[in-house]
Amino acid sequence: MTATAIATAAPTIKRRRAELGLLVLALALTVSAYVLVSLGRTAKIPTNLRPFLGVIAGLLAVAHIATRRFAKHADAGILPIAGLLNGLGYVMIVRLNPTLANRQAAWTAVGIGAYVLTLVVVRKARQLERFRYTFAFVGMGLLLLPLVPGLGYNINGSRIWAHFGPISFQPGELAKLSLAVFFASYLIEKRELLGVAGRRIAGITFPEFRHAGPLLIAWMVSILVMVAESDLGSSLLFFAFFIAMLWVATQRNSYLLVGGVLFVCGSLASWQLFAHVHNRVRIWIDPWPTATKGGYQIVQSLYAFGSGGMTGTGLALGSPTRIPYAATDFIFAAIGEELGLFGTCAVLALFLVLVGTGLRTALRASTLDRPFDALLAVGLTTILALQTFIIVGGVTRIVPLTGVTLPFVSYGGSSLVVNYMLIAVLVRISHDTTTVPDPAAANPRPSD
Amino acid sequence: MTRQIRRLGLALIALFVVMFAQMTNLQVLQANRLAHHPGNTRDAVRDFGSPRGSIFTADGREIARSVPNTDHRSKFAWTREYPARGLYSHISGYFSFTFGSTGLERTYNSLLAGRKVAFTFKRAADLLKDRTVTADLTLTIDDRVQRVAAEALGARRGSVVALDVKSGAVLAMVSFPRFDPNPLAGVDQKAVQAAFKGLSQDPAKPLLARAYRELYPPGSTFKTITTATALSTGTATAATTYPVISELPLPLTNRPLRNFGGKACGGTLAASFTVSCNTSFARLGLDLGAQALHDGAVGFGFTARPPLDVSPGPVASRFPAVDFFTRNTPALAQSAIGQGEVAATPLEMALVAAGIANGGKIPTPHVLKEARERRASGAAQIQGESRSTWITATTPAAAAQVRDFMVDVVANGTGRRAAIAGVTVAAKTGTAQTANNRAHAWTIAFAPAEDPQVAVAVIVEDQPEVSSATGGRVAAPVARAVLQEGLAVRR
Repeated sequence: MTATAIATAAPTIKRRRAELGLLVLALALTVSAYVLVSLGRTAKIPTNLRPFLGVIAGLLAVAHIATRRFAKHADAGILPIAGLLNGLGYVMIVRLNPTLANRQAAWTAVGIGAYVLTLVVVRKARQLERFRYTFAFVGMGLLLLPLVPGLGYNINGSRIWAHFGPISFQPGELAKLSLAVFFASYLIEKRELLGVAGRRIAGITFPEFRHAGPLLIAWMVSILVMVAESDLGSSLLFFAFFIAMLWVATQRNSYLLVGGVLFVCGSLASWQLFAHVHNRVRIWIDPWPTATKGGYQIVQSLYAFGSGGMTGTGLALGSPTRIPYAATDFIFAAIGEELGLFGTCAVLALFLVLVGTGLRTALRASTLDRPFDALLAVGLTTILALQTFIIVGGVTRIVPLTGVTLPFVSYGGSSLVVNYMLIAVLVRISHDTTTVPDPAAANPRPSD
Repeated sequence: MTRQIRRLGLALIALFVVMFAQMTNLQVLQANRLAHHPGNTRDAVRDFGSPRGSIFTADGREIARSVPNTDHRSKFAWTREYPARGLYSHISGYFSFTFGSTGLERTYNSLLAGRKVAFTFKRAADLLKDRTVTADLTLTIDDRVQRVAAEALGARRGSVVALDVKSGAVLAMVSFPRFDPNPLAGVDQKAVQAAFKGLSQDPAKPLLARAYRELYPPGSTFKTITTATALSTGTATAATTYPVISELPLPLTNRPLRNFGGKACGGTLAASFTVSCNTSFARLGLDLGAQALHDGAVGFGFTARPPLDVSPGPVASRFPAVDFFTRNTPALAQSAIGQGEVAATPLEMALVAAGIANGGKIPTPHVLKEARERRASGAAQIQGESRSTWITATTPAAAAQVRDFMVDVVANGTGRRAAIAGVTVAAKTGTAQTANNRAHAWTIAFAPAEDPQVAVAVIVEDQPEVSSATGGRVAAPVARAVLQEGLAVRR
């Protein structure tokens, strides 16, 4: 044990040093991009460069110190990647819409605060298991909150907003996190039951019908979200990450099959029944005939990517303001125009590394026989990956366009704060699964 | 669980691979198509966001320039101004955000808007701003000749085209009615649309560049081609005689081909040319046959689009295909005197005159003399004048013979009003009947006959009180004025 402790204590310090180095790199890239935006626009160094540098450095420092203090063994990559994505996104928003940028700056501070608070409050990921039904209730409630008369309201045709007094937010964002926690604990408890073999049909072992209940409930809720709130993106995301978690928990391929069939049925039915779904699909298949009407958004996005080409026009030197919703849903297109293929691939690579880190954390937890930690990490990582795919695929015409945020990059307070909480939980799990046993402790395994 | 997580990882990686592939597809493979797609306004916005080069005439008059925009409603910093208003509308064209651009604004957009230059690194900001250097264009057109041409034509529908005989440089090119391009280059999109609607619905068609995009029956000016073809193929000589008759009976029809006013004419080819005797040339057309006359017309540039550097470019002048005449011999007789299905642009007829003047070689018509880059360090020429032969129309001998015929037209025939004291002018008039005793008055001419410098084609549309003299009476004075000024500015 002592040997292990010595062997892992040194890497722990190295990790925090690596994180610090990566954070400095993220800071340098963000500040350089900020200077380039100003140069591109006015050929002058921004006047508020020092305060800007100070604020960003301060925020990242707070997050870093909190990680050092509360999760010192965590993976070094997670926080710097989130910080860099946030920084690049912020710079793009500055370039696209300075008013939104001020709010995004405030939300970033709140997000860092939420990150620290999550690390402080959630001292062990497994603590969350205890509150599983609270999370279930809160998650479902949040998901359906915009439907409550007087609280919810429509923006751009989607009823995904709620407001309390002057504060408005998208409860669906927080619901994802709550439900991920609930699913992880529920599925770990019931996985034996859910994994019980039912009958075999055509060589595939199906679960017993009565255990498919939760799956059906999840499916129906996601359909409800889609129909009642016109939020295709969240509906798809919600269902897909649930299926992924169910499959990882039960190790039954039949769930994938059943889930896939339900997904296809739901998609076909909504394509048939709902005009807006039908419309989205038609525009996806061929946006050009309606390039000035329904296909306008996606066509403008494609123009931006094409005009960006390999190297991009340079920050503040393109015309991404003509892309609709450039700061939110279409921020990836704005990046594509001004930073080119190099920029878009760099952003995708950052997400890929983040997803890889998340899954490695899950694997480690799984090896340490902490199934809840593992499954929660799987759920959170899948949310990040799928959300990235849904919006990037949407604006590049891989899949029909559905409005979700690009995590950390798009403008949007709810999304940013929740994503910081999400990576805080990942950091927590990462820390837990690399915890060095105290050599002095009698129990070789952590006692909690 | 470990195995499942690994598989999930593979699935998520697959999603990223798809995204990377699509990014490469959009930003590399399809990038060019998307970037310059007509619906992508980025090119237009870039062109409108910066000053363009100016366009000058050969004698230094600025006819198009960019001025800082004073209208605060506009999203563009610069606006285009055409100080000469309508005088050059069919040459400069217009530069409109709403309706795109035409004329030289379109042909030489990449020069006017600026192109990428090898960058000179002085300050870091140089890399980010003003990466392009715009070029000023100088035209071959001389403002003095252009103004004389416009004044001589006056408020009559028609066109005047004057060319440098040897180089094909356009010295003047006037179409009337014309339009003022300034309202189309305006800032207020609604006003621009209203202006464009007004112009495009005007029955006088002011947007039509008659000089190179309208087809007219060339009438007797086409006899230059018939004659040159007959001489070069040996079908006739200057001494070949034709009967003195007032009408020529034609096969397959009981409607004979008549001379103007039923007058009798004929005699030698030379004499027939001088008085523009229809019956003689109709006979000559029948003697030549469909193939030879067709080849002769094509040799002079009919059925081809002259490569003039304006956008949209000239239309091709029309001459029927050979098999059109196989069952329609009267049409062959009509074609030989420039009536029937034959139709030409004023530019084409000016090129015919230039071809005869230039020993049978038609030069390439062009309006750009040079493009010079605007730089702090001084202007540098980046594109010069192109001088080349467009097509060889006929033999030097045939061209010389037709030239002599044309000199006699001015001296003794229908083109007396083209005569200039002290200069030998060669000309051929034409009176192309349209309907209801009305006709287009034509004159093509060049001078001096001994060493041709300037060629000109004039058409005045739709003249009343037709006689064989109409072309000479109406159009020849215009040709004379333009020739005189064209020769004067060259001294």
